[in-house]
Amino acid sequence: MANFDEIFGEQWKRSVEKICGASESSSLGFSQAWEIATSALKPRPLNEHPPPRDQALVLAAVQRIHKAKMTPFLIDSFLGDLRKCEHFIESEINESMGRYDASQDPNEVAQLIDRLAQWYKHWVPNPNSQSLYKTFQLAFQTHLFSFLPLSFPDAFKALLVETIGQPVESNVIVFQRFEVLGFLDRYESLLASVVYQQIELRVAETCPKEWTSRKLADLRTWLKEKIVPWLAAPYARGARTVEDARAMVSGIISRFDFHVCRTLCDLRIKEIFDIIVDYPDSMDALIDLKECLTRVDQRPQLVTALRKANHKRLLHPGADTKDILSQYVSTIKCLRIVDPPGVLLYKVADPIRRYLRERPDTIRSIVSSLVGEGGDLIDESEQPGPVQTVAEDFSDPNWEPEPIDAGPEFRTSRPSDVITTLVSIYDSKDLFVKELQVLLAQRLLAITDGNFEKERRNIEILKLRFGEAALQVCEVMLKDMTDSKRIDHHIQAQGQSIMHPTVISRHFWPPLQGSRLRMPGQFREIQENYGRGFSAFKPDKRLRWLPHLGEVHLDVELSDRTVSVEVSPLEAAIIELFSSKPVWSMDEISVKLGQLDHVTVQKGLLTWIEHGVVSDQGDNTFRLLEQASTSDVRPAARPMDIIEDTSPVVTTEQQQADQMRIYWQFIQGMLTNIGPMPIERIQGMLRLAPGYDRTVEQLGGFLEAARREGLVLFMGGMWQLNR
Amino acid sequence: MKVTVKRWHAIAQWQWDTGTRSDPNTEQEGAGNQTQNDDDEDGDGDVCGICRVAYEGCCPTCKVPGDDCPLIWGECSHVFHMHCLLKWIGTAASKQQCPMDRRTWVTAERKVAAS
Repeated sequence: MANFDEIFGEQWKRSVEKICGASESSSLGFSQAWEIATSALKPRPLNEHPPPRDQALVLAAVQRIHKAKMTPFLIDSFLGDLRKCEHFIESEINESMGRYDASQDPNEVAQLIDRLAQWYKHWVPNPNSQSLYKTFQLAFQTHLFSFLPLSFPDAFKALLVETIGQPVESNVIVFQRFEVLGFLDRYESLLASVVYQQIELRVAETCPKEWTSRKLADLRTWLKEKIVPWLAAPYARGARTVEDARAMVSGIISRFDFHVCRTLCDLRIKEIFDIIVDYPDSMDALIDLKECLTRVDQRPQLVTALRKANHKRLLHPGADTKDILSQYVSTIKCLRIVDPPGVLLYKVADPIRRYLRERPDTIRSIVSSLVGEGGDLIDESEQPGPVQTVAEDFSDPNWEPEPIDAGPEFRTSRPSDVITTLVSIYDSKDLFVKELQVLLAQRLLAITDGNFEKERRNIEILKLRFGEAALQVCEVMLKDMTDSKRIDHHIQAQGQSIMHPTVISRHFWPPLQGSRLRMPGQFREIQENYGRGFSAFKPDKRLRWLPHLGEVHLDVELSDRTVSVEVSPLEAAIIELFSSKPVWSMDEISVKLGQLDHVTVQKGLLTWIEHGVVSDQGDNTFRLLEQASTSDVRPAARPMDIIEDTSPVVTTEQQQADQMRIYWQFIQGMLTNIGPMPIERIQGMLRLAPGYDRTVEQLGGFLEAARREGLVLFMGGMWQLNR
Repeated sequence: MKVTVKRWHAIAQWQWDTGTRSDPNTEQEGAGNQTQNDDDEDGDGDVCGICRVAYEGCCPTCKVPGDDCPLIWGECSHVFHMHCLLKWIGTAASKQQCPMDRRTWVTAERKVAAS
């Protein structure tokens, strides 16, 4: 200012006075006004107060300066003074932050901010001129932020976290301070990140593994009760009415609500596999997930996560087919809740289905659950419908376009029932029907009391799914059961027999295990009598016994006891032999029963040894124990572990292997005549053979088996006979 | 020692008595039984000369075998599914002849009467 005076000197003063007019210049000289204004504005330490002065006078002084168009210079001088005082703030900040760094106590920060606000208030230019105030604010904040250390944002964040739990009233004051110091604008992103962090923390605390209640609703309540009031302070500042405030906050709240959904969604996606395992207990979690997914587009992540989890935890050789199936069914049910159109399901199910198709026992597992043998894959309440692939209905008024993330092969599937989906793993239903037939045969043959209503009911249900024609064979099997009962009734009326056979139509039953067993003694008589009775009743038919199947209830009356047992016909035949003479050798028994192999006979004998009726004399002879011997009863030491499939029905795999044996002749001929051939060529030639329907893979498996047996060699991609 | 059978649940298959095999009454002999077993081992048994389906199966129009789709025995010793043969006889081309040997078809009375 000195320069100014020097340059313009008296001339300036005079002209100014002339311009300002007499009335005001009379009350206050310019230099006096300058003096008053600068001393009023001068920043001082907190404990030092500006000299008491009449507000009106200061105002007048400022106005005087303004009149003289000297305001910018006044401001400059004020800023210069401010700069001289900023070291007070700096030292204060450094001190407080030093303490905070040591203690990590947000209260230090709160106190610091409190002090800063006091500084601010103390320095704020007294006469409230708009331009002066703005300038001061800017300058103060600039200085302030330049002093704040790098660690301040974290400290501030800690303080913000601290305030979340506080009552609204105290927060309002705190936030006013923030506002005054310009923290809110500068650290707005920090504010949001605090809330995000809180949300994530909350989700991590309350939600993991909690699938039995609606967590999303809980979280939203929490957001409404804890976070929204807190948000009002920073975000709805300056709102005059409640509506205003609501409008200001609503945008930010929906952002946080989105984050809640997103965080919960991420968590649930991470847990999805276990959620599916827990279904239907985890129903609420699934509904939450569904709601989250409508808000957040995490569908691709869900698919990826679930596919990965399935691959890792489900689709490996260690998992039981039954478990895979039940998990698959749960997956179907769960994803149908989450995503009714089924796009997610389609994407997730594909690898499972492909894997299941490769498992040899998938069909059997499905079928056995179809007929209700352990396993609750079938929901009783489900309306059984026909299994069919529905062509797209172009006249459907409720048609909806496929969801946008549907792949090209995706086809909107009508909400079909679980069984339909399971059956559709395979291209044709025939495989199921065949397996079903085998299973039904096993069950029917095991029935002794003539009560097969359950099987009939099952078949009726399955007819709805597979169609009448496919199950015709099963129908005949059931008819055989009824006929047997009727015929037996008739024959029993002609002459009592203790025999109650099941007479089957062999072309309509799956192949049964063959046996050379011939029943001895009274059994043969019973058989013949019954056979005669049958032929008398049905003159153009006769019976062919399958003597090794079925079961016999019999009493073995010994001199000191009676053993009452239920045994297989083979065992019955063996004990029958002992009734004619007490000691038999293995060979004798074998010959007598129709050249049975020793393993079979041994197995039958073991049963009786276990019952304590027969004892093993060593060197392959067996003696009847007419009197129970206590000394001689050895714990039935099984000489060999005979683990044999006792099922009377030949399994489909065995059937296939048997059929393949026929084609072995062809292959052998080919390889002899043509020489080494690649597998494709063999397959091509075999296709000319009648009824050949194997895939190259099946053929490969067969050739591999033949190679292990040393029948063929595989060299340089060619198969050749091993000679 | 005595074995008393209280109940025997056996499994058997029925067969048409086509007359080509040994009479059931002679099967008691061990040898006869043996041959019968051999017969049975060789698989599907005889087939109807018209539809080429086993006798114990049923003709192409039937769904249920046995009494619902019986056989018919000719004097010429040929046996067919009754439905198959009647259909054949019904066509003009058949000239009422057995499709196997072109002799005039005469149903063997004994068997039909019995069934």
